[in-house]
Amino acid sequence: MSLIFERFECSKMFQRCSLLKKNYIMNHAMNHAVHLTPRPPMFKRRFFGLRRNMLAGYLFIAPLLLWLAATILYPLLSAIALSLQDVRIIGTPGKFIGLDNYARLLSSESFWQSFGRSIAWVVGNAVVQTLAAFVAALILNQRFRGQQFARIWIILSWIVPTVVVVIIWRWLLSSSGVVNFLLMSLHLTNEPIGFFGAPTSAAASVILINAWRWFPFMAVTVLAGLQSIPQELYEAAAVDGATAIQRFWRITLPLLQPVLFVLGLVGTLLSFNVFDIIWLLTGGGPSNATTTLPVLIYDTAFTKYRLSQAAAISVLSGLALFIFALLFIRFMAPKQEEGS
Amino acid sequence: MNASMRNRILLTLGVFFLLFIVIAPFYYVVTSSFKAPQEIIARTPTLIPQSFTLQHYEKLFRASNFPTYLINSLIVASGAMLLCVLLSTLAAYGLYRMRLPGSQFLFRIILITYAFPGVLLLIPLYGMLSQLGLIDRLLALIIINVTFTAPFAVWMLRAFFTTIPLELEEAAALDGANRLQALTYIMLPLSAPGVASVAIFAFITSWTEYMFASVLILSDANRTVPVGLAGIIGQYQVDWGLLLAGATVTMLPVLILFSLVGRSFVEGLTAGAVK
Repeated sequence: MSLIFERFECSKMFQRCSLLKKNYIMNHAMNHAVHLTPRPPMFKRRFFGLRRNMLAGYLFIAPLLLWLAATILYPLLSAIALSLQDVRIIGTPGKFIGLDNYARLLSSESFWQSFGRSIAWVVGNAVVQTLAAFVAALILNQRFRGQQFARIWIILSWIVPTVVVVIIWRWLLSSSGVVNFLLMSLHLTNEPIGFFGAPTSAAASVILINAWRWFPFMAVTVLAGLQSIPQELYEAAAVDGATAIQRFWRITLPLLQPVLFVLGLVGTLLSFNVFDIIWLLTGGGPSNATTTLPVLIYDTAFTKYRLSQAAAISVLSGLALFIFALLFIRFMAPKQEEGS
Repeated sequence: MNASMRNRILLTLGVFFLLFIVIAPFYYVVTSSFKAPQEIIARTPTLIPQSFTLQHYEKLFRASNFPTYLINSLIVASGAMLLCVLLSTLAAYGLYRMRLPGSQFLFRIILITYAFPGVLLLIPLYGMLSQLGLIDRLLALIIINVTFTAPFAVWMLRAFFTTIPLELEEAAALDGANRLQALTYIMLPLSAPGVASVAIFAFITSWTEYMFASVLILSDANRTVPVGLAGIIGQYQVDWGLLLAGATVTMLPVLILFSLVGRSFVEGLTAGAVK
């Protein structure tokens, strides 16, 4: 009880402090404002205020929307146009060939294999990252010394450039690297393992490395969700004699659902999108074991020089993701409570 | 041993394990970049460096094009950062502070573009930029990076913009300030940590970007650090010292910038999903 009271006092004090600061800045701002416009246009404001205000509002958003339209919407449409032609290298004219590219893809084995690998990639990453992120978030949610430090710097592996991640793990996993040294000195293996040499171990290694990179992002998001759960619920549950496990299943998980929904949707799309880490670690090999759809798109366009075909793969992938997103929203969206 | 004691020990072990997994590889890479070549490839790895040399850094800056890559990356990341902050603060102000009809809808559109997989745009953007004559130009990378950072920046700003009381702006409006002035003199100073986080997010993301940079840039003189470094991975027969030094220099700006805004950065990162 006294704890709650203390927190209340604290937040009041904080509010007072920040109000003082805001007052200061506001005075400052008003001084400036007076300087800049000596004549307040009160008359006009009264008559046209509302409409002018709205127009101004859209003007604020317009630059970004136009930018996105030019660099996302327009390319998206031109990808569809390109996928209906037979362009090989950019700049060369293409002939309209209808749906030929699509027909070829849908009957090609390598497309469906990549499709399957992309699903395996997304699922594998989701499983590893979710587990790691939950463990990390539950640990970071406790009180301990250095908690602030840990909560911030856990994100380190997510903010460094991919190429750095690639160098780190290529080195640690190389035949004379630390990981092999540890495995050998523990007598788990007699000779160094070539992690990227065999299809299965290469795919598993790339998934684990990518998960190592991304799980902190997920962890801090889950942590923020955990902190938004009122502490009183846990106290009440503890009074009623609920065990830690019961509290997790009955309070934590249900209340985290909105956060998990966003993570599930956005995380899947971002995870599908991963290209550089795979390309730089394995180049899609060995024997195409790590050629997911993004790798296939890149490879088709820039090493096989079949631009239109790559565009068709992009369109099909986009379609698949769109269907996934619709289904996910339809079935996984957190249910709104009545009346809210 | 009682239960609370056991919990404390378990917690401490957990925290150490967590930080070890994330931070240990970085420690090992950075310290090893100062080791002599024979120590780097020694059969038994050394946790604490037994030798000290700057030769890998010397080689990196003298014998490779790395300084050029650094300058190019700096140009791309700064340019993208400025444009991203400009576009995203304007949009965030319109979206969160002006109660426009349809702003929820516009917000969703911007969210979708954030989650939109960039790889699907690789081919058409390549085509579009080559028609504009921007292939092998740093400007192309600036444009791309703004596209892929600005939507998330708008999302990040939400947490900072929505907490500032509307009365402040009303007071300014009474004094005759227009909306742009309200944004510049009230919103931006009050949400400074948020704006700084967004700026650094844009800088870091652009500094890191590999896929578009590898396709849109053709000449070595225009390469950015990630592509240049990736080139070194393949180019020489594996010179680990050089690569470790390269990795250390590449992540240095990221670490410095992140340490400036770490807390509000993480706050902004997660607020979008929670609220």
